Amino acid sequence: MLEGLVTKLADTPWSIALHESLYMYAITESTHVMSIMLFVGTIAMVDLRLLGISYSKVPVSQMLSKILPWTVAGFVLLVITGSMLFLAIPIRTYHSIWFRLKCLTILVAAINIAVFTFKVERDKAAWDLGAVPAKSKICAVISLGAWACVIVFGRLIAYNWFDCDSISSPIMAELTGCPLDPG
Amino acid sequence: MTLYHTAQSIEASALGQTIRESTWLFPAIESTHLLALALLGGAILIMSLSILGWGLKTPISELYKSAHRYLNGAVIVLIATGILLGISEPVKLYGRQAFWVKMLSLGLALMLTYFVFNPLVRRGASGLGVRSAAVLTMAAWLIVAMAGRWIGFS
Repeated sequence: MLEGLVTKLADTPWSIALHESLYMYAITESTHVMSIMLFVGTIAMVDLRLLGISYSKVPVSQMLSKILPWTVAGFVLLVITGSMLFLAIPIRTYHSIWFRLKCLTILVAAINIAVFTFKVERDKAAWDLGAVPAKSKICAVISLGAWACVIVFGRLIAYNWFDCDSISSPIMAELTGCPLDPG
Repeated sequence: MTLYHTAQSIEASALGQTIRESTWLFPAIESTHLLALALLGGAILIMSLSILGWGLKTPISELYKSAHRYLNGAVIVLIATGILLGISEPVKLYGRQAFWVKMLSLGLALMLTYFVFNPLVRRGASGLGVRSAAVLTMAAWLIVAMAGRWIGFS
């Protein structure tokens, strides 16, 4: 079902235009990279505060209310440019093991954010400027690790080591959704 | 020996060859370069947004105490990984306009950061001077990042 959708996507004039344009693709990818500075940069600073190792004079509540809106802005930019990059090369990206790992890691990071927002930060008034509880530190470590992996996996999508035409093991064929090369 | 010849001999060096011929080294160094870029962005932004009144209300000299460590760490990793990437393909870089744009803007960004932005932030300056420094420093690093990505396209 997804496969069919992705194939249809690849045939749209939008996809072809993005793929064949010299400047739009480059501009989109550069904007994607610059948005990493805004998104991962700001969330990392928040995480370092939640770890209790930096910005200890800044109340946690202020860190969340003043910095996270910028993080969200960065995320919006990343989703827009990221969707455009996917649209430009849909079939290959859909099968990319790195793209799949990236999506999975984003899911982990999103669950972590949900747990932090709905559970962990609920009693933050009690530790706004005091010692950071362990639950906050755990969320911060998961966040830092997950977003670092997302950056690395994203960068690796560009490499063709595991493209469909070089898949020879049944496990990789399963993981990438590629047909197994009979050769 | 011209600059082009220097590039050729760096390209032929053992280190250059090792990075170029390895499957994983270049991507690994490149990924580390990107991770450090994100850290640099965070350190610059947390100070700059506060200076411009769009961020934290904590005095900027206090933010500097934490942020400058990440800034310095990021700059060191960026330069170290950048040199390694450069060593693996100097002849290609020599011919790329984007590379020279990046080197010029990098020089500018480093000077703005360490000779203008940091000294002003460290002593908690306020007013038009430090605000301009914040905007210019962010702009300079954005050009560095943009030109850096562009090396791969041109």
